Amino acid sequence: MGLDRRGFVKFVVGGVAGTLFTPVIWKGLDDAAIWSQNWGWIPRVPKGEVKATPALSKLCPSGCAVKVKTVGGLPFAAIGNADNPMSKGGVCPICAGGAQLLYSPARVKSPMKKVGEGKFEAIKWEDAEAMLVEKLTSFKGQDGKIAAISGDETGTANEVVSALLSGLGNASGFCVMPGEMYTATKGVKLMGGNGQPGFDIAGADLVLMIGADALDSWGPSVANQKAFAASHPTGAAATAQFIYAGPVLNNTSSVCDKFLAVPPTATAAFSLALANALINAGAVCSASDFGDYKALAAKYTPEAFEKATGLKAEALKDLVARIKAAKAPLVIAGASFGQGAGALDFVAGASLNVLLGRVGQSGGMTLLPAAPKALAAATDRAEAKDAGSFLAQVATGKASPAVLLVYEANPAFALPQADAMAKALGNIAFKVSFSTYMDETATLADLILPAPHPYERFDDAMNPYGVAKPTYLAGKPAMAKPVMDVKDPVDVLLAAGSKLGLSLGFETYADVIKAKAQAVGADFDTLASGGAWTGEGKGGGLSLGAAALAKAPVAKADDKAVALAPVTKLACGTADLATPPANLLTIRDTELKGKDLFVQMNAATAKKLGVTDGNKVKLTGGSGEVRARVHVNEGVAADTVAMLLGFGHSAWDQYTKGKGDNVYKILTVSDEAGTGLKVWAGSTVTVAKI
Amino acid sequence: MSGHAVKEFKVTWGMVIDLDKCTGCGACMTACQVENNIAPMADASNKMRTLSWMLVFELSNKKAAPDAEIAYLPRPCMQCGNPACVPVCPVVATDKNEEGGIVSQIYPRCIGCRYCMAACPYHARYFNWEDPIFPKGMEKALSPNTSARPRGVVEKCNFCHTRFMKAKDKARQEGGNPEALADGAYMPACAEVCPTGAITFGDLKNPEHKVHELAKGENAFRLLEKLGLHPQVYYVSKREWVRKLGDNYAATGHAGAEKKHS
Amino acid sequence: MDRALFPDGVERCSFGKFALWMAFITAFFLFGLYAMIVIFAKGIVVTGLDNYFGFGLWITFDLAVIALGAGAFFTGFLKYILKIDQLKNIINLTVIVGFICYSGAMLVLTMDIGQPIRAWFGYWHPNVHSMLTEVIFCITCYCLVLVIEYVPLILEQKQLNSIPFLHYLAHNMHVNMALFAGIGAFLSTFHQGSLGGMYGVLQGRPYAFRDGFFIWPWTFFLFVLSAVGCGPIFTVLVCTFMEKLTGRKLVDYKTKALMGKIAGTMLTVYIFFKLLDTWAWAYDYLPSTGMTFDQMFYGVIYGKWLMFTEIILCGVVPAIMLITPSIRNNPTMLYTAGILDCIGICLNRYLFTVQTIAIPLLPFDIWQTYAPNWAEWATSGMIVAYGFLVMSLSYRYLPVFPQERAMNK
Repeated sequence: MGLDRRGFVKFVVGGVAGTLFTPVIWKGLDDAAIWSQNWGWIPRVPKGEVKATPALSKLCPSGCAVKVKTVGGLPFAAIGNADNPMSKGGVCPICAGGAQLLYSPARVKSPMKKVGEGKFEAIKWEDAEAMLVEKLTSFKGQDGKIAAISGDETGTANEVVSALLSGLGNASGFCVMPGEMYTATKGVKLMGGNGQPGFDIAGADLVLMIGADALDSWGPSVANQKAFAASHPTGAAATAQFIYAGPVLNNTSSVCDKFLAVPPTATAAFSLALANALINAGAVCSASDFGDYKALAAKYTPEAFEKATGLKAEALKDLVARIKAAKAPLVIAGASFGQGAGALDFVAGASLNVLLGRVGQSGGMTLLPAAPKALAAATDRAEAKDAGSFLAQVATGKASPAVLLVYEANPAFALPQADAMAKALGNIAFKVSFSTYMDETATLADLILPAPHPYERFDDAMNPYGVAKPTYLAGKPAMAKPVMDVKDPVDVLLAAGSKLGLSLGFETYADVIKAKAQAVGADFDTLASGGAWTGEGKGGGLSLGAAALAKAPVAKADDKAVALAPVTKLACGTADLATPPANLLTIRDTELKGKDLFVQMNAATAKKLGVTDGNKVKLTGGSGEVRARVHVNEGVAADTVAMLLGFGHSAWDQYTKGKGDNVYKILTVSDEAGTGLKVWAGSTVTVAKI
Repeated sequence: MSGHAVKEFKVTWGMVIDLDKCTGCGACMTACQVENNIAPMADASNKMRTLSWMLVFELSNKKAAPDAEIAYLPRPCMQCGNPACVPVCPVVATDKNEEGGIVSQIYPRCIGCRYCMAACPYHARYFNWEDPIFPKGMEKALSPNTSARPRGVVEKCNFCHTRFMKAKDKARQEGGNPEALADGAYMPACAEVCPTGAITFGDLKNPEHKVHELAKGENAFRLLEKLGLHPQVYYVSKREWVRKLGDNYAATGHAGAEKKHS
Repeated sequence: MDRALFPDGVERCSFGKFALWMAFITAFFLFGLYAMIVIFAKGIVVTGLDNYFGFGLWITFDLAVIALGAGAFFTGFLKYILKIDQLKNIINLTVIVGFICYSGAMLVLTMDIGQPIRAWFGYWHPNVHSMLTEVIFCITCYCLVLVIEYVPLILEQKQLNSIPFLHYLAHNMHVNMALFAGIGAFLSTFHQGSLGGMYGVLQGRPYAFRDGFFIWPWTFFLFVLSAVGCGPIFTVLVCTFMEKLTGRKLVDYKTKALMGKIAGTMLTVYIFFKLLDTWAWAYDYLPSTGMTFDQMFYGVIYGKWLMFTEIILCGVVPAIMLITPSIRNNPTMLYTAGILDCIGICLNRYLFTVQTIAIPLLPFDIWQTYAPNWAEWATSGMIVAYGFLVMSLSYRYLPVFPQERAMNK
C-alpha cells in the first residue's frame, strides 16, 4: 500500500477535522471550566434577604454599637451604627469580625462536665443546671465558700451575680477582673471625690494621654477615635492636638502630634514633673492641698525628669508651652495596657486636670455618679474585690472557696503571674465557667455552661470606662436562635436562685435590663434598636491628691532589670478573647512569626542587653518566664522592653493555641504604698539570650 | 514600547486615605476579609502566603528613639488608570473596562499564571495558595457579596464591586441616576468600617464628592507616581517624611516633580 | 539483545549497561514525578513560591531551556531556508534537543499555573495585548512543529521504516520539512521575543521595563538574539557531552566550529545591544523613576556581581572567544566559551525573572529573598531526566548522526 502526498494531507486534515466534530472535546473542556470553579469543597455564598439589625457587640471591653448584617437571618458582617453616639458609624477591629466568631472553632457547643484531666462530656442543660443548684445548695449560707469572678465591666449581669452571692450568704465573694475603672474610681476617692472619672475628648483642644492608649485599646475606643477624627478633618487644619506619653510608639501615638517615650516605671514621675513645670510656668489652683502638692512636685525637677524618663528636659518645656497655649487641655492617665497601674499613677495624671482647672469643664475631666441599680441587693460596682488578690489568697489558703462561678472571664490566662493563678484555681473544688469559648479557665472548670455570643443575647453596658457622660447601651439578639446549645448565664443564675429559694425578682436577663433601663430613665426599646441614653457628667471639688501622692514610691533602679511594657492591640484580642479568626491577618510579622512572639526594644536597650535583632531570649519576671525573639524597634522607651499581650494560649483554637507566649506570666504584682492596691504596671524583667 | 494610555471614565472611583488619621487598628483588614470571604489562615504570620486584599503597611521615619515616628498605610488595590496588570493577563481574567474605572478580576477565568502579580509593583495581587476552607460552620457566616475562590487563582481588591452594583440598583429603584451616585451611596467595606474615617471614598471626577477636592490637596500624593500607572488611590499626610516614602527619590535625593514616566 | 533495533552500521553499549543507565536516570525522573503528583494534588503551595515571588525557578527554567533549545529553529532556518548544507550533520540533534526543551517547558508550565485544568484558556479567551498569550500560542504551536520534525526521525528507525506506510509518511514529511522549518523559525522568533517582551512590558518593574519599537520592547529583540546566540552552541555542548559519554565520534569538529561561529556572531550582536540597552537603562530610564542603579541590587544574593557575570564574564568574553577563529578552532576553548555563553543566557533569564520582582519598589518595603524548594528542584530535575531518557533512546535506536558510521570506522 502506498501513501502519496495528497493522501497524506487528506489523512491529516480529515483526522483533525473529524475529532473536532465529536462533542467529546468541547463538552469536556467546557465542563472542566465549570468544575474548576465549583468543586464540591468550595463553599457557596448564602442567598437571602440582607438586613442590618442593631446590636450591642460586647466583644471589645467597652462594647461597640453595631449593626449586624444578616443574610437569610444569619449574621455575616458588622458595620457601625451611624445613629449611635458611641459608634458614629465606626467599628473596632474585633467587633468587625464578630459574625465569624459565632462559628469560632473554640465555641463551647453545649453544657459539659469534666470527666477527667482535660476531658469533658457533653450533658443536657437540665442536668447541668441541677448540678449547679446542688453545689450551691450544699454551700448556701457558708460565708467564704462561694465566690464569683466577673470579666464584664459594664453589664448589669454583675448585679445579678453579686445579688445571688449575697443571697447565698457570700456577699464578699464577688470579684472582678482587673481594669482601670476600679483603680481610677479609687483614685478619685483619694482626691476627695466620688464617682467614675470620665474624659471629654471631643470637647478638648489638647489631649495629653499619659499611658492611656485611647485611640486603640483604652476606654470607648471607637468614640475616642471618632472624636480624634472630628478634630482632624482630612485636607484641613486640625482643631485639637493629641499627645501621647507612654512606653511604646503604639497605634495611638502613631497619629499623635507628639510622642514622648516614657518608661512604664516613670508614669507618676512624668506627671509630677509636668505638674512642677506647669506650676513654675504660673499654674495655680484653688485646691486646698495646692501647697503640699507644689512642694511635692518641686522634687520632680527637669533633671529628675530626665533621669526618670530618659527624655530631654526640652521635651517637657515644649509640652508645657503646648498646654499653656491650649484653651481646653485634657489629661488622661491610664496604664498603657489598660490595667495594673495603681491609683497613684491615676492621681498623678488626674491631678493635672485639677491643677489646670479642667474638672467638670467642657473638654475636661468629669465624674460620673453611680448609676441606679436594678437589683438592690447587688454589690456596688466600685466595691468589688479584685480577682487577682482573691486568687492570691486562694493560693496561700487564706481563702478557701468551694464553688467558683466564672462569668465572662479568663482568670487562668489574663491575670498577672498567670501560671500561679491557674494553679490557685486548682485549689477550688468546683468551678463553673460561664463562657462562650473554650478558654483556659473553661478547660480547668468542672462544669462549663456555654454563654451566648453577643448576637445571641440580651446585654447592656453602663458607663463604659472613659465616657465623659453617663452612658447606657442595651441590645437584644440579632438572630432568631443561637448557633450553639447555649443559655444566657444570667437566666441560668436566676433560675438557680429561685430553686434555691432566693427570688431576685426577675426571671430573665431581658427583664433585668428592662428594669435597669427604667431605673436609669431610658427607654429599653429605643436602646435595643440601636439608641443610647446619656446623662450629664459633673465636676466636683477634687483635691490634688497630695496626701496620697506623698506616699508614691520612688522607682528603684536595678541595673540588671529593664522595665516591661505589655502592649495591648485591640485587634489581637482582649483579656477574655483570643485573637478572633477574622483578625489574624492584622498581626504583624514583627510581632508574631510562626510560634514566636517578639519582644520589642530600641537599639540602645538591645545593645545594653547584649542582644540583636532576631535573637531568641528568655524574659524572667514575677514568678514566670516567657520566650521570645528580639525585634529592634526605635519606638520603645529607654531601658524598656515591650511585648504584646494576648498570646501564648493553651486553649482556644488552631489559630491561637501555642502561638507566642503569655506576657501575663512575667508581670510582677506588688502592693501600692498607701492604697493597698495590687499593681503590676511597673513590672521589671531580666532578659537573657538563649 | 511606551506603556499604555490612561483609560478615562466619566466616573472614576477612588480613595483618599489620610495617613495622619490611620491608627493601624486593622478594622479595614478585618472588614475586607469578612466582606470578601477570605478564610482564616492557620499561620497568618507567614505574610508571604497570606491573602490580604487590604494590607496595612507600617512606615517608619527610621530615626532612633526618641525621635522615631511611625505611620500606617492601608494598601488596597490602586485600581490604576494605566494598570500594569491588565495588559499582561493572557486570558483577559482582569480588565479595566467598566464605567467607574475599577480593575476587575474574573476568578473563573483566571488560570493562575501570576504574571499580573509580577507586574504589580504594589503587591496588591494575591495568589490563592489554598482552597478556602473555613472551620466547620463558619461557612454559614459567608458574605453574600463575593463568591469563594478555589485555590490556584489570583485575587485582589475590587473596591467591593458588588456594593457598587447594589448602589446602582438602588439608585435605579429610587429613580436616581446610577451613573451619578451621591457621595456615600457606594462605599467599600474598609472605608465604611474605619473608626477614624481615614479612608474617604468617592468619584474622583464628581465635584460633589469629597474625594474630588481632597485628591487635589497640597499634601495629596500617590504611590510610585513616577512609574506612570496613575493609581486611583490617593494618600494625604502633613508629614513630609511620610509623603517622601510614597515614591522613589534616590536619583535626585529630593521629593518633588520630576520627569514622570508614562 | 536489542542489536537488531540499532541504526545500520553503528555500535552501542550492551543492553545491560544501557538498562542500568536508564534505571539510574529513571530514579530521578520518578522522584520528580512524585513531586509533580504532590503539586497537582495539593497545589503549588508546596513550592517555595510566595506572594512576592510568583515567578521562580520554574519560569527561569522554562525560559532558559527555551533559549537553549533555540538551536532547533535557528539551525533549521539556516539549513532549510538559507541552505547551509553542512548543518545536516547536526540538524537531527538540534531537533531532539529542541523537542525536549519545549515539551519539558510546557510540562513545567502546566504545573506552574494554579489552575492546570484551565491551561487551554489561553486559546479560548486570548488577550491579544499580552505577551504571554503570544508565548502560549507560539510555544504550543512550535512544539507541534518540533513533533512534526521529530516524527520522521523516529520513523526512520530501521524496523519502523520497513513498514511502507510509515516509510512514505516519513518521506512526505521530509519533503515538506523546509515549510515546517520556516513556520518554526517564524513561531520561534516570535515567542523567544515575546518571552523577553513579557518582562519588557512590565511598566511597574523598573528592572525589566524597556522602551522599544512599536509594540515590542527592546527586551523582545534582545531575547531573540540571546537565544540564537546560545542555542546552537548548546547543541554542540550536548553533542560533545554525548561523545564523551559514549566514547564515539558523532559530529565532525568543522560542523561544531561552524555552530560556534554562528552562535558567536549572534552573541556578539546581542551583547553589543545588551550593553547599549543596559547603559541607557541605568542612565536614562532608572533616574526617571527616581531610582538608581545601586537600588537594583542587594547583598550577595541579589548583588551586582550577577549582572557583571551575566554581561561581561558570560557575555562579552564568550562572544570574543567564539568570533575569534583561532580560539574557536581550539576544542577546549570552544567548549569553554560555549559553557560561559549558556550560563550567561540562563543567568539573564534568572535575573529578568527573579531580580525583577525581588526589588522592593515601595520605598517602605523591604527585600525579600526566594529560594526554590525541593518540589521545584525535583520537578525541574524530572525534566532534565526526561531529556536524558529521550536522548538516550534516540541515540541508541535512531539514526541521529549521519556522520557517525563514517567517523567511527
